[in-house]
Amino acid sequence: MRRPEQLSPEEARELEAIDVALAGGSVDHDLRELEDLVHEVRATAPEMSPALTARLERLIEHGPEPATDPVKPPGPRRRWVLVPALGTVTAAVVALVVVLGNGNGDSSDTVIQETSGGKDAPALARPGSGGVAAGESAPSAAGRAQSAPAPAASNRPGPAIAPQRRRKVERSIFLVLATPKDKVASTADDVIQTVDRFRGIVASSSIAADDRSGGEATFDLRIPTSRVDEALGALSKLGHVAERRQDLQDITASFDSTQARLDEAGAERRGLLKALGKATTENRLDSIRARLRLVRAQIASARGRMASLQRRANYSRLSLTVRGNGKAEQGDGTWSPGDAANDALRVLAVIAGVALIALAVAIPLALLGAAILFGARVARTRRRESALDAT
Amino acid sequence: MAQPSNTAMQSFDALYRDSARDLYAYVRTLLHDDASAEDVTALAFERAYRRRTAFDARRGSQRAWLFGIARNAALDELRRRRRSAPLIADLPDEQMRALDEQAEQSLRRATVRVALDELPARERELIALKFHGGLTNAELAAVLGTSESNAGTRVHRAVKKLREACHAPS
Repeated sequence: MRRPEQLSPEEARELEAIDVALAGGSVDHDLRELEDLVHEVRATAPEMSPALTARLERLIEHGPEPATDPVKPPGPRRRWVLVPALGTVTAAVVALVVVLGNGNGDSSDTVIQETSGGKDAPALARPGSGGVAAGESAPSAAGRAQSAPAPAASNRPGPAIAPQRRRKVERSIFLVLATPKDKVASTADDVIQTVDRFRGIVASSSIAADDRSGGEATFDLRIPTSRVDEALGALSKLGHVAERRQDLQDITASFDSTQARLDEAGAERRGLLKALGKATTENRLDSIRARLRLVRAQIASARGRMASLQRRANYSRLSLTVRGNGKAEQGDGTWSPGDAANDALRVLAVIAGVALIALAVAIPLALLGAAILFGARVARTRRRESALDAT
Repeated sequence: MAQPSNTAMQSFDALYRDSARDLYAYVRTLLHDDASAEDVTALAFERAYRRRTAFDARRGSQRAWLFGIARNAALDELRRRRRSAPLIADLPDEQMRALDEQAEQSLRRATVRVALDELPARERELIALKFHGGLTNAELAAVLGTSESNAGTRVHRAVKKLREACHAPS
């Protein structure tokens, strides 16, 4: 039916003559028959009845009456067009929900990091504040409270009060600092300088390099207890505090018992020395001397233990880890124009992601809808054309 | 329904004045029935009126657009007719009236009318669109949904058949 066929020059000439005749012009002599045919066919054209003319005049003047067209109005048919559009909107909403869902996951991660590692994390004792770590036990806390210098009660006038026993407390602190991966070594140097400044001791240290994360430096430090809070504050400023905890152990009982043993041994020694001066027999002298050696050994041992306890009370143990966080240095934390540009890029990336997901869903839906529309249109056209073949 | 602008009204009024007679002639030739042709012609103008704001000049002339609407309505009418009882056309009466006329011109026109009516529907439609509607080949292509060259070929073939039918012995 629609085979492309080329008109011969003669056929094209005849068609042109028909157009000329229809326009009222005259054609070549050999085509007069065609011109006559045009006029005769035109002359046989059916004429509109006066009723139809009046009907159409009314239509043109007043417009069609409502619902006179038995065929469905174009509105409902156009609803087919809404199918792919509805699919596109649905896909966009789904994509937005997915992306926002991922975004919430990121933000919750951030919250976790802040909770566990923020310098202002409420679970951690602030340097120099005298606060108590969340995990600290009540006895320990009490012990630490009593480890402070004795109150100046004796300076106050009033009745004599028995001097408060001075508690001996051993502090152990665990601190993890996170730094940019290119700052691990320099932060380790700063740690050493800070420890020296507070007259602390570096018992041991080690640095492990790692290109990806930046590596890790670990320190086993002894800081004078009287300055440990101050030193802790200074060390915490060297990096991002990722973790910090401390433990307090009351060693007053050990100290007292050792002191008691030392006092007893001293008293015994003094007694033995007096007895030695009064001894008259050789056997008695040998017996006292042997006992004196034993007591002296006990005194030396007690003094050694006393010194050890005193060091544990006077120096706090600090285990410090400087850890690279795998990222390069990001500036000073203020929101700069560069940060704004990065945020803008991030927003654009999210929007592009949403658009991509929406397109991935919408394109197949749109193609399907278009195919359905096209098929319906072709079918309708074929049905109409078939009416011509049947007549 | 939104009120049309004056320009659109004037444009549609001009289209009606220019096309109504030709459109009816085309539909009547296609349907072979006065009543159906009048209904379909009126229906085509109603549809065109309702859709006049959707007309896109880039897709063809207003006249071709109107004839396309009329064609769809006429084909729908033919389909309805096919599903119902076949129409007994009023052609014989006209034929008889024409044959009663003694004038040579009238006889000639009657011959053309008979030849036209005996053409297959597709060729008859092409003749009606070309001769009654006065459409160019480009407008014909737009109405039929085909290429201009194909429309020209089909018109020429239909004219050839009509000429042969006119010269055929009755």
